[in-house]
Amino acid sequence: MPPSEPARRSAQSEFSAALINPDLPPPVGVSGPRGKGARKRFAVYRNTVTVTRIDALADIFPAVQRLVGADFFRGMARIYLAQEPPVSAVLFEYGQGLAAFLERFEPVSELPYLPDVSRLERAWLDAFHAADADPLAPAALGAVPAEDLGDLTFTPHPAARMVRSRTAAVSIFSASREQRPLETIRPLEPEDGLITRPAHEVQVRLLPPGAADFFKALMTGATLAEAATLALGRQPGFDLPAAISAMLEAGIFSACSLSPAKTEHPQ
Amino acid sequence: MMRSAPDPQTGGTARFPSLPLPPRAGAGLKPEHVDQILADTQRIGFLEVHAENYMGDGGAPHRALTAIRREFPLSVHGVGLSIGSESGIDHAHLERLARVVERYEPAMVSEHLAWSSHDAGYFNDLLPVPYNAETLARVVAHVGRIQDRLKRHILIENPSTYVAFEETTMSEADFIREIATRSGCGLLLDVNNVFVSATNHGWKPLQYLRRFPLELVEEIHLAGHAEDTDDEGDVLLIDAHDRPVADAVWKLYEIVISQTGALPTLIEWDNDVPDWPVLRREARLADAILDRLGPASLLGSRHAAE
Amino acid sequence: MSQKTLIGASALAGAVAMAISGATFLASTDSATAATEKCYGVAMAGKNDCAAGPGTTCAGTSKVDFQGNAWKSVEAGTCTTMSLEGGRMGSLEPLDRDLPA
Repeated sequence: MPPSEPARRSAQSEFSAALINPDLPPPVGVSGPRGKGARKRFAVYRNTVTVTRIDALADIFPAVQRLVGADFFRGMARIYLAQEPPVSAVLFEYGQGLAAFLERFEPVSELPYLPDVSRLERAWLDAFHAADADPLAPAALGAVPAEDLGDLTFTPHPAARMVRSRTAAVSIFSASREQRPLETIRPLEPEDGLITRPAHEVQVRLLPPGAADFFKALMTGATLAEAATLALGRQPGFDLPAAISAMLEAGIFSACSLSPAKTEHPQ
Repeated sequence: MMRSAPDPQTGGTARFPSLPLPPRAGAGLKPEHVDQILADTQRIGFLEVHAENYMGDGGAPHRALTAIRREFPLSVHGVGLSIGSESGIDHAHLERLARVVERYEPAMVSEHLAWSSHDAGYFNDLLPVPYNAETLARVVAHVGRIQDRLKRHILIENPSTYVAFEETTMSEADFIREIATRSGCGLLLDVNNVFVSATNHGWKPLQYLRRFPLELVEEIHLAGHAEDTDDEGDVLLIDAHDRPVADAVWKLYEIVISQTGALPTLIEWDNDVPDWPVLRREARLADAILDRLGPASLLGSRHAAE
Repeated sequence: MSQKTLIGASALAGAVAMAISGATFLASTDSATAATEKCYGVAMAGKNDCAAGPGTTCAGTSKVDFQGNAWKSVEAGTCTTMSLEGGRMGSLEPLDRDLPA
């Protein structure tokens, strides 16, 4: 292909470029009726695009917005969306990259918990829209013969998510969403958050020490014995009955089964 | 596998009752209104949803819409398919729309004469197209592809626009008639959009309606608009969907209904959404006009009440 | 992983029995389900709709919402109420650069 001939930009490419760059004039060939000016007319489209994109982010990340204030949030959102415009036409999927953006966005570098707060908010909405499934019933687990329990593996519920943080992101997230004061929170205390949807509502839980290791292992296919051994090894005071109880109550899993490898009795 | 009993809501075998859109007023469904709508003794004629809001896998939105669909006729209105796009119909998005349509078996499926996606992403706005042979061929091809995939006929809605194109060679009404004739689609006439675009471009709304193929209209939209000004200080109307329907739009609607007969008529209210009784009051105003003018119409009611 | 290093079967069985015997927890889960069964009015974040936004004088027409001194708006955020260790207050830096090209 000859490199010297730049392809003619299509009309919608011109229109798109002018939509998101207010320094550009309205696209060529676009006007008001009878030759009237198009500057303010074109601005209607510019505003709708920019404002509704920012509104969507503000909707999805209310805790982040409350932490930094609406003006800061909206300004920050404009920089984010210039870097990462929505690709999908489904707006509730927007903002998957916000956490990574916040990690490299200098003006919030003094707020180390902010990326994980945004991860919790994004996980919350993913859980909200996740496929329906009934959580594993306690009776189903109770029906497993004692000698088989160690070999059980679990199917994660479609809504289940975990966010492990080096900061108090879970406490900050919930206080911020519930409009509670933040003064008593020690922001650099590490916290693990669990997001599930056991019935019809999304729930966010702060996990006790060791529980995240246990759940993470089970969510990635470890057997119950392997996960319990791992958690006890890392956290000697790990409360296994409480963790299993929380796992059932929160609905982290939708089913359990005997791991095929274990049923073959390998040597 | 040791599982709990399957959720009857997601069992996949539950079919919905077949409920066509009645020639009555309906409302755009907002999640915050669902409980009141289900409990309301003055039942709304039908409900319409934006398809994109139900493209998730499950959860509260589907639970609410399932409850609504069991009791009310439903219209699915897409806002993101970008039918006027130079870069073609997004295959994945069309598949997601098909999934929503298969899931809810709506009485009606509609989309816009507009584009909203390009290389620079999704703009979340209904952007205008020039009316000429090139755009017409593109839009007709896209509508055909959508109808083939959905295995049903869809409606295309006339837009609200703020700018004109030098490349335009046809009137909007003629352009829309050609889309319908060539693709076999039906039309959704947004009377507020007619008023907004006519004001913004200096057309006469009645002349627009005289050219418009009213005999192909299967649904009507009504909404409120905001007022701004253009570079010359003249009135520029914005399709804001944030307030009651304007008096001038009601008058235009009366004229349309007196021609077409009663048609399913949606009240859209998307920003600054009011309490349900306020939205229902708008719907009742439309119902009163349908009752008064529908039976005496020139074309006669093509959607006889059941 | 060798079988010997794993937690014993009886310990696991005991833990599961303790976990599922919590009658109070089972009751509370059931009642929570019942309470939300009939309620559909859950707000949706990030909705699509087909309305135009505000008119001609908002964010879309200015280069950046905030430039230079606009970060005094930081006071509106709640993050400043938390103290970070070492006596630093959580704060936001002013930003006076334009949108990246």
